[in-house]
Amino acid sequence: MARGKDKKKRKLEKKQEGDDVPKKVPHTLESLREKDETMLANAEAEEQEEAQKDMELDEMSSYFEKSYEPKVLITYSDNPHSKTRIFGKELSRIIPNALSRYRQRSSVKRIVQSAIREQVTDVIIVNENQKQPNGFLLIHLPKGPTAHFRLSSCKITKELKKDHKEITAHRPEVILNNFSTRLGLTVGRMLGALFHYEPEFRGRRAVTFHNQRDYIFFRHHRYEFTPDGKRAKLRELGPRFTLKLISLQQGTFDSKRGDYEWIIAGRRHQMETSRRRFFL
Amino acid sequence: MLITEDKDIDIFVASKIGSFKHIKYHTDSTKNSKKCIENLVEIKSLQKDDSITSMVWGNEDQTEILIGKKNQQVQVYNTLQGFTKTYTADFGTGDIVGLGKHKRRLLAALSSGTVQIWSKKENVVVNTGGKLDRMKVYEQDTTLFATGGEENELKVWRIGEPAPIFTAKNLPHDWLQLRRPVWVSDLTFLAPELLAVCSRHGYVRLYDTRAQRRPVCNVEFESMAATCMAPGFDDHHVLVGFGRGQLQQVDLRNGKPDKGYKGAVGAVTSVVGVGGRVVSVSLDRHLRVHKANTKELVYKQYLTSKLTGVLVQTATSTPLKRGDTEIKEEDQVEEVEVKEEDMDDIFDNMETVGETPRKKRAEGTEATEAKKMKPSTEGSTVEIEDPDPEERIMKLLRSTEKQKRKIEKKKREKKAKSVFHNA
Repeated sequence: MARGKDKKKRKLEKKQEGDDVPKKVPHTLESLREKDETMLANAEAEEQEEAQKDMELDEMSSYFEKSYEPKVLITYSDNPHSKTRIFGKELSRIIPNALSRYRQRSSVKRIVQSAIREQVTDVIIVNENQKQPNGFLLIHLPKGPTAHFRLSSCKITKELKKDHKEITAHRPEVILNNFSTRLGLTVGRMLGALFHYEPEFRGRRAVTFHNQRDYIFFRHHRYEFTPDGKRAKLRELGPRFTLKLISLQQGTFDSKRGDYEWIIAGRRHQMETSRRRFFL
Repeated sequence: MLITEDKDIDIFVASKIGSFKHIKYHTDSTKNSKKCIENLVEIKSLQKDDSITSMVWGNEDQTEILIGKKNQQVQVYNTLQGFTKTYTADFGTGDIVGLGKHKRRLLAALSSGTVQIWSKKENVVVNTGGKLDRMKVYEQDTTLFATGGEENELKVWRIGEPAPIFTAKNLPHDWLQLRRPVWVSDLTFLAPELLAVCSRHGYVRLYDTRAQRRPVCNVEFESMAATCMAPGFDDHHVLVGFGRGQLQQVDLRNGKPDKGYKGAVGAVTSVVGVGGRVVSVSLDRHLRVHKANTKELVYKQYLTSKLTGVLVQTATSTPLKRGDTEIKEEDQVEEVEVKEEDMDDIFDNMETVGETPRKKRAEGTEATEAKKMKPSTEGSTVEIEDPDPEERIMKLLRSTEKQKRKIEKKKREKKAKSVFHNA
């Protein structure tokens, strides 16, 4: 059958149907994603209530009750090269109340201990390989959890031909996109808990964590409303990077003896059964 | 006892937020559904310290469950009557890591390292000399209990005696003359004098209290933190769960891991082997049932909160509480549906004020009729409500054309196939 003819017919049909028919949503891997039973949206009421309670009682709940202001420590693997250092510095500009320190050969467990003593609420450790930042360890204190991400396609402001001085000291707005499963929600909550809960809208700074097919894309923008106030113009400030979850651990960092809530190492083929299956 | 086909098992599950559930698992997989799960604790009432840290059977009939919570409360749950008693174990600090019952005396262990035995006359406190990770009472002889923890070797005690009747001894130093670290994360009795122990330092050891203080069998698991264990289906097998989500059967006669049960994505927190099935719960919020001999995952259920403990009832069975009411409710629903259809006529006769109520009704009837309807072949159900008769005819024509084309296509395919076969 000739495809062209078919197309013509389809066009004709479309014309006859008119404009009021809503546009069809294209099928993508995301829209055809396999149903996940842990998704909060399609759970029953009872289950939803329990999940809500579960979140109310988890380790990040005190942040969402606004009982403390987050204080973040950013550190690196030993002897970081310039790109990683700059990346950390820029992170500390983005995250309010963050400080960047060199590691000084200290172990993660000791960093965690001293951070708890200094009332730091989150620790970020950026790992580096071949002069490129490639690992992102996020530890929520004092009682965990610990998330380990693979960090990729990291672009610091200089590589984006931007200037880090453009990043103002205002507290940014945080946008968490597409975290839908129970695991995704936990990860989203952890990332959200890095930032102060009260954004300064004067600064017009927005930080986005966008989850798409289990990759979490980070972007940092300044926005401006158009004069008619209907749309917003965006200016990217940088840096930008991509995260992919490797493991989520209960408690603070203990890779050898800890209990994992979710870990993909060693069971990739078992878990990644289809291209349409996503975990976040 | 071996589970034959078409049987149901009662599973009780405890979670980290304090919820406590009863699941009726049918070996016939078609019968399993969400209706087989019921909450035994009101979820709204849960507080921050309600986390269940320990759960054991309280008697041999398996009608009584002892639940230890993070706020040091011990609750007694009767499978028929519900919660009956509450004790408070405030004799020390830390979570409750083990519970047990000897006749009418209640035993409770706290992670700071003390075990208390309540009795009518007096409360005896036993100091185990170090942190505790687990305390277990031997079910066949409830005067015996064993303790162990981080840098606190396995000790076996008898109720009434102040000193342990058996204290384990660590293995000799390794080839670098370094002390081997000790961390008993779980233990289990295989016989009154045979105990198995697993550790977060990645070993499973078997102790024979008659033979020697050092283990008679040591199985190493490199950099795998064992979290829980249970006796296996033979007297020389144990089931061990690990912090990275592995679940293995370990042969203590050969000193080798025997079988692995796959599926868990998070740390296995509790495991039970019953009648050829391995029931395990994990921090990834799932309950899993494996077949023991084929290692096949036969059942998996998401239970919304992080699970910490599992118990399987083998001696008796408990009916689901809402089981009877559920059936009645279903009947009622059907009746209502019938009524709704009758109501349709009334609705049809009514004047329509706006668009919205009509749509709603349509949805309602759709839901009831959804089962009867066959999935349409064209991907969308065509609503026959077009006002224009001409258009309707056009559509009909078009659809018939499509069908014709389809039939033709099928025919061609068949032909092609036959040719292929002939060739």
